[in-house]
Amino acid sequence: METLYQLLISIKTDTPIGRWLGPVPDWWLRAVAIVVPVVLILAVFLTLFAFLTWVERKTLGRIQNRLGPNRVGPIGLFQPIADGLKILLKEDIVPRGADALCHFLAPVLFLTVPLMLFSVLPIGRGLIAVDLNIGILFVFAVGAASVLALFMGGWASRNKFSLLGAMRSMAQIVSYEVPTVLAAVVVLMAVSAAGKHGVGSLSTVSIVEAQAGGWVNVSGWFIFQPWGLVGFILFFIGTLAESARTPFDLPEAESEIVAGYHTEYSGFKFALFQMGEYLVMIAMSGFTVTMFLGGYLGPGVDLPRMGWLLSIFWFFAKLAVMIFIVILARGTWPRVRVDQLMGFAWKMLLPMALVNIVAFGLWFYLGSGPMGWAVSVALLIAAFALLTLGGTSTRLGKRTYRYSS
Amino acid sequence: MNTAFWIISIITVLGAVLAITLRNLVHCLLSLVVCFFGIAAHYFLLRAEFLGVAQILIYIGAVAVLILFAIMLTRHVTGMEGPRELGGKWWMGASTAGIIGVLLWWCVRREVLTAMWPSSEKAQGLVAVIGKALVSEWVVPFEALAVLLTAALVGAVVIALEEVVRKR
Amino acid sequence: MKFPGKGLLDGVFVTIRNFVGSYFEKDRLVTVQYPEERVSLPENSRTFPFLVYDDEPDKMRCTACKICEAECPPQCIYIVMDRDEKGKPLQHPKVFDIDISVCMQCQICVEVCPFDAIKMDNDYEKSRYGRFDELMEHLPDLLKSNEYYHKIKPIEATAVDAKLQAAAERKAKKLVSPAPPAPGTTPETD
Repeated sequence: METLYQLLISIKTDTPIGRWLGPVPDWWLRAVAIVVPVVLILAVFLTLFAFLTWVERKTLGRIQNRLGPNRVGPIGLFQPIADGLKILLKEDIVPRGADALCHFLAPVLFLTVPLMLFSVLPIGRGLIAVDLNIGILFVFAVGAASVLALFMGGWASRNKFSLLGAMRSMAQIVSYEVPTVLAAVVVLMAVSAAGKHGVGSLSTVSIVEAQAGGWVNVSGWFIFQPWGLVGFILFFIGTLAESARTPFDLPEAESEIVAGYHTEYSGFKFALFQMGEYLVMIAMSGFTVTMFLGGYLGPGVDLPRMGWLLSIFWFFAKLAVMIFIVILARGTWPRVRVDQLMGFAWKMLLPMALVNIVAFGLWFYLGSGPMGWAVSVALLIAAFALLTLGGTSTRLGKRTYRYSS
Repeated sequence: MNTAFWIISIITVLGAVLAITLRNLVHCLLSLVVCFFGIAAHYFLLRAEFLGVAQILIYIGAVAVLILFAIMLTRHVTGMEGPRELGGKWWMGASTAGIIGVLLWWCVRREVLTAMWPSSEKAQGLVAVIGKALVSEWVVPFEALAVLLTAALVGAVVIALEEVVRKR
Repeated sequence: MKFPGKGLLDGVFVTIRNFVGSYFEKDRLVTVQYPEERVSLPENSRTFPFLVYDDEPDKMRCTACKICEAECPPQCIYIVMDRDEKGKPLQHPKVFDIDISVCMQCQICVEVCPFDAIKMDNDYEKSRYGRFDELMEHLPDLLKSNEYYHKIKPIEATAVDAKLQAAAERKAKKLVSPAPPAPGTTPETD
């Protein structure tokens, strides 16, 4: 947005078109510079959501040895349009005795809160809607705030099972935020280590720029460091859990508590819940790319004129790879139970994230050369072995039931 | 006093007033969340973005969720039980509000609070300034808070463990 | 070497192989695109009966003997023998109706037919736009050629053809050499 505003100002003052258009007040230019990125984000990412439903169904089909939808358009490309029409035309049922205001607001909030995540996602060089200097913290704050919309959906339905499902979803999201944030902390430490005077920034653009340099802008990516690889895995697991995707899709699995918090929603409100979930998935994949895979960096990004176009291409290519991995995870891995889920987050991921922070510290202060690599890799492997040896995730013993006599 | 300040203030105060007057408990909580958002917006207006985001993260992401869980676990699901009367007289609340209002007005007028703070740093470096201050000048309270949080976490685990042990 | 998480990675490799292979190996995709392609049914599958004719529809094997009408358990067959002007029965049916909403596909009509005239079809696309008159199949709909019978049930059709051929040869031999068996000797058994 800032770059667009500066661009518009420079058009107004320097170029003949600007002089011909006459005196345009600056706040008009600022309004245009605000509205254009917003409209672009809505257009691009909501279309990407529709396209993504098609991609997911085709990919899952191919993984499962069948074709996906292929009737509605050339290769089923108009299937999202057919789905959208169908769900628009469905009857909107509000349960009697449900809290009408909350029932109405929950899907609205669930959709709009994740849209705010896209405002700090750098799509290309100089292409970010708002370059907040606390960008990453904003991401986690939004993730925390979206928990509320979930609760509203579950509570307002006046349904015991919706409420239980909402509670389980909230517990899942809140528990998995902790290792996710700690995995991001390692990245922030690395950014400040690379920054001047040891002062870093929470801004997403500075996180991407800290991975620049290196061989064709690729070898600087954080995923190629030991602490970066572990951080990537932890953050990726957090992505899956935050957007309630398999293997953490307890809330919406067909065999689970009916449909969790969105049981009582039909028609377009249900579509809004699905949209919100997919948007969180796209956004968190985008942040994984930004923090560990170098964001929009790639070969050729430093070229003077075409560099920013190439950066957009690299960003969306990496985003496509990440989304493909998420869809592959859906088609491959079984679902975890709710106690396995919580145990995994608190007993396995959280200690690994803390050990990862220590490993980064060791790597950095031992000079980030072979010595640092050896020590940090050894520490990470030792921690992983210790955590998985003791059978801390699930004990296959006799099951004790807490509430039965 | 620009328009943004007035709009955000109205939203905040409205949220707070609704939070204490609505009959449905969950609606009260949701208006309280609106009030928290308003306060976060005030922080953003004051160019303290870090505090604003921390407000959202902590108050809405943690405190409000905690209250939600408390409501969900202790109330009848379908119940819209009204607020219970606490048995006080109207002048108790009014006098308390009046005393606090006078104190706040005096502080704001006499700039007692603002005199304690140094001149504001550039917003760019605010996070770094807070970080540096936390580990240099304010490290003892920082560590004490960490110990307090650890104690709370351990206490929660102990309470839960005790229940499991007792059931066995 | 087993490490925790190895099972997950193996699973990922299996699905990636499935995904990539579905584009290159033809037999990985098991989908049959229904209106354009159909699954080939096994020989013994059956839906509703049809009448066999040998070369032309006039040369149908059915002689309107009404055995199948009598034996059909839900009585879904209705036959009227064709008679000429004088009332003499011609040995083929004028009306042959099967109500496929009643037919229970038990194949008893096929088992009792002495002329191998009625056989079971395996055509399942019998949807109609009504429930009553539209589900009654008449003689023109039921007549299908012997080539069609060979196409859907080759083994059975060849056996029936061989049986009919042998019976025709026996009849021809009896007509050519009508030598009665000599008294006191046992007649030929075949």
